Amino acid sequence: MRPRSKDRPFEARSRVTRRSFLRRILRKRPRISGNTWMLLFILALLGPAMWVLTPSGSISLDRVVTKITNVTVDPLTNITTTTTKTVPAENLGMRLGLDLQGGSHLVYQVDFQEDWSEDRKEFATNTALVIIRDRIDKYGVSEPVIQRQGSDRILVQLPGITDIDEAKDLIERTGFLEFREVELNPAGEPVLLSHYLEEADRTDFFDAAVEGKRIFGQVIPGEEEATIISLPYFLQKDDDEGLRFVDEAGNPVDIDEKLEESDEAKRVDKLVDNQDNPVDKETYLQTYSWMPSRGTITEEVDGVEKEVEKQLTGAYLTEAQPRYPTPEGLARGEEIDVAIEWDSDGTKLFDQIMKRIRDKGDYLDPQRSLGMFLDSELISSPQAYPSSMEGREYGSSATITGNFTWDEARLLAIKLDSGALEMPLKKPPLYESEVSATLGKDFINKAILAGGIGVGIIMLFMILYYRLPGALASLALLVYLALVLAIFKAIPVTLTLAGLAGLILSLGMAVDANILIFERLKEELRAGRTLKAAAETGFNRAWIAIRDSNISTIIICGILYWFGSGIVQSPQVMGFAATLFFGVVTSMFTAIVVTRTFLRFATGSRAARRPQWFGVKARDV
Amino acid sequence: MFDFVGKRRWFLLASAIIIVAGIISLAVPGGLKPGVDFQGGIAITLGPKEGETEPLTLERVKNKLADLGHSEAANRIQVLEDDQFFIRTGELGDSDEEKLEEQKKLKSGLAEIADVKEFGSISAVVASETVRNAAIAVAVAAVAILLYITWAFRRMPSPFRYGTCAIVALVHDVVIVLGVFSFLGRAFNWEIDPMFVTAVLAVIGYSVNDTIVVFDRVRENLPKGITPDFATVVNSSLTGTLGRSLNTSVTTLLAVLAIYLFVGGTIRTFVLALFIGTIAGTYSSIFIASQLLVVWERGELGRVLSKVPLTRRLRPRET
Repeated sequence: MRPRSKDRPFEARSRVTRRSFLRRILRKRPRISGNTWMLLFILALLGPAMWVLTPSGSISLDRVVTKITNVTVDPLTNITTTTTKTVPAENLGMRLGLDLQGGSHLVYQVDFQEDWSEDRKEFATNTALVIIRDRIDKYGVSEPVIQRQGSDRILVQLPGITDIDEAKDLIERTGFLEFREVELNPAGEPVLLSHYLEEADRTDFFDAAVEGKRIFGQVIPGEEEATIISLPYFLQKDDDEGLRFVDEAGNPVDIDEKLEESDEAKRVDKLVDNQDNPVDKETYLQTYSWMPSRGTITEEVDGVEKEVEKQLTGAYLTEAQPRYPTPEGLARGEEIDVAIEWDSDGTKLFDQIMKRIRDKGDYLDPQRSLGMFLDSELISSPQAYPSSMEGREYGSSATITGNFTWDEARLLAIKLDSGALEMPLKKPPLYESEVSATLGKDFINKAILAGGIGVGIIMLFMILYYRLPGALASLALLVYLALVLAIFKAIPVTLTLAGLAGLILSLGMAVDANILIFERLKEELRAGRTLKAAAETGFNRAWIAIRDSNISTIIICGILYWFGSGIVQSPQVMGFAATLFFGVVTSMFTAIVVTRTFLRFATGSRAARRPQWFGVKARDV
Repeated sequence: MFDFVGKRRWFLLASAIIIVAGIISLAVPGGLKPGVDFQGGIAITLGPKEGETEPLTLERVKNKLADLGHSEAANRIQVLEDDQFFIRTGELGDSDEEKLEEQKKLKSGLAEIADVKEFGSISAVVASETVRNAAIAVAVAAVAILLYITWAFRRMPSPFRYGTCAIVALVHDVVIVLGVFSFLGRAFNWEIDPMFVTAVLAVIGYSVNDTIVVFDRVRENLPKGITPDFATVVNSSLTGTLGRSLNTSVTTLLAVLAIYLFVGGTIRTFVLALFIGTIAGTYSSIFIASQLLVVWERGELGRVLSKVPLTRRLRPRET
């Protein structure tokens, strides 16, 4: 970015190469100077920058929020219908830090047993990370940060979740893992969602003998990755109401309407497959109805041993692990699998269920699948193989195979584990902080006011002190603001309160580059140079000082960012470092390119004859 | 042209007095008060509750805290604004279960009378790591700046001097900021947090930025050979950049002042540290860093050290 020396002005080049082209466009001005090109370049930058800051810029950067615009409750059925609309986010669509929009910030220490090996520790940390990520995705937090820090810490930042106890519960709780089988109608055929919907007068389950809600889902094998579909609404039987569809919280929903929704609304309502693609109505209609898999075990009730019926759940699972086949196994054609261990009751339940379902159909029939559901979401539905010896027990262990890659097997094992074991996290967290949303709103308004007043005062000072160049620098400062805000929005830089302070501070420093140039300009004018020459020399000499001094600030920004990303990942410190960095870099650009272009226009104009307009007394020249 | 260099002993003496006072204040315990981030514990910001008729007063918050069994915390509540209060406790309870229990009790108790705007709990483990990281950050910043300036002035005779003088100037600024905060800690219980460390680093950045602009002029003027006297070169460079130094610090201070007056709240420590640091940074680049260059060039350092206090008579100024 070294400025051109003045003996090779832009004019020379542009006149030769652009002459014929320009003649046609601008009859009255036969030539266009290099400086005009620079001005056009600045405008060309400013245009998109301003556009990025508009609501349509927000939409194309996907900085949007979904707003509930209308909620209606049908008084007869008690079914609520919500209408949603996507609108550009507030606050220019900037990404705001936790302190400005409210939210929760947590750092957990992973809880290890003392005798664990490094591999085991590594696995536990990754397990916790995967589960937390999965849960938060399902919960629907926009732009969450879930990161591993060091070897045994997990950082979670949840913007918008201002109830930290809710956030902690979401992260720390044990998931609910349950096992289900496909419901069959009296003819012995699998029941699909469509069967329930088409026979509108149904008041009972197809298999009335099995109580408990029905979950609809299906695994569709794919070339690479299987697609798993789970309807987030369940069919439930209420004594007085009969069968009805409810959501996770137990509120009735109008299932027909939900299935007809647009893709966008489906995303909001989580009517998506495991790859986040909206699922159409036809596909949902073909999903199977899954009912709880039960068996009987002996349990002591009031001192008497009794046979009780229980659903097979994660409570009976002791461990799930992904495994590589042994070399010999590999030779026999074995694959990567997931090994499950049951406790004694689990062994009994599993044995009963497997013996029952393996006789219900042929291999690959859905009725031979054992559906595994984590928090009511289908995660796998392996087929029951006949036990290798007819009549023998299945035993305390089982394996799930299915052409798994190592990652798939690992993920499945992690999910099974999370529904069986407590989250391996130390409580309370090492660090927790919660900021209410009202505090943030208040701060934003104050910071905008402070920024506005800061800019106003600086501009006034510059104009009073430096006159014409000061006014040009003020104009350049506005260009700077537009550019820097557009950069913050596009990257995006997370704006925190300290980040805003960094931005306002960088305003002061953005002016610094201009001041360096103008002070130089004044000196050169006093030294008797013509205005044009003084301006060029001023720029060239000031540039070296601007460059060298700003590099030191950039070095500091890097160190600050490291400090902020340390142990607890302070968004405040990182926000300050990021805004100051981009602020300094942009200010170098505006000083050298924008101010210079404006000043060249001024030196070419009539104003150039009045040195006092440049803050220099005529007798000094 | 004002003779800055000729009066250098006065400037250096003034700074030395301020710094010694600062160091004494820092060394006497009870000055700089570490916040929760550096010590572990709980930090809470309270604001008025919506729909509550009784205004939130210091008295009410104090009584509530005492009722909850935190009379020690009740005695050092900080008033952020009329109805905004900052409360700070040490770590609650010894075992993890106790901590969870106590934390819940405190939070729900305070929520009865006020809106809990911010609630933070930091374990001592994390806090000590934050302290360590802060120390590393400041040390790395100093070394990086020393190396950078030495490199930037590599064409000058003895470039290492420029780096060292800049470092001395920035240490001067940091000590002044720390010193002021140790006074504030004593007087108003102001605590320092990671944002304070950030401000200190920003001040380092600003101080060096400012110093480099002056040194840059020395670098430009020296090879011109106008005068063989180093002191004169430094003095004319100082005068040349004086307008810029003052104006830049004015605009920066205006911006910082706007944040301090209109935003305030939780970042007021941060902003005040920036404000003090900016003034110190401007002062030190003119009156410390450049003067030290002359002192070093003339080899006065050894003589000064052997003849403390500064009693040496100055040579007549060459012009």
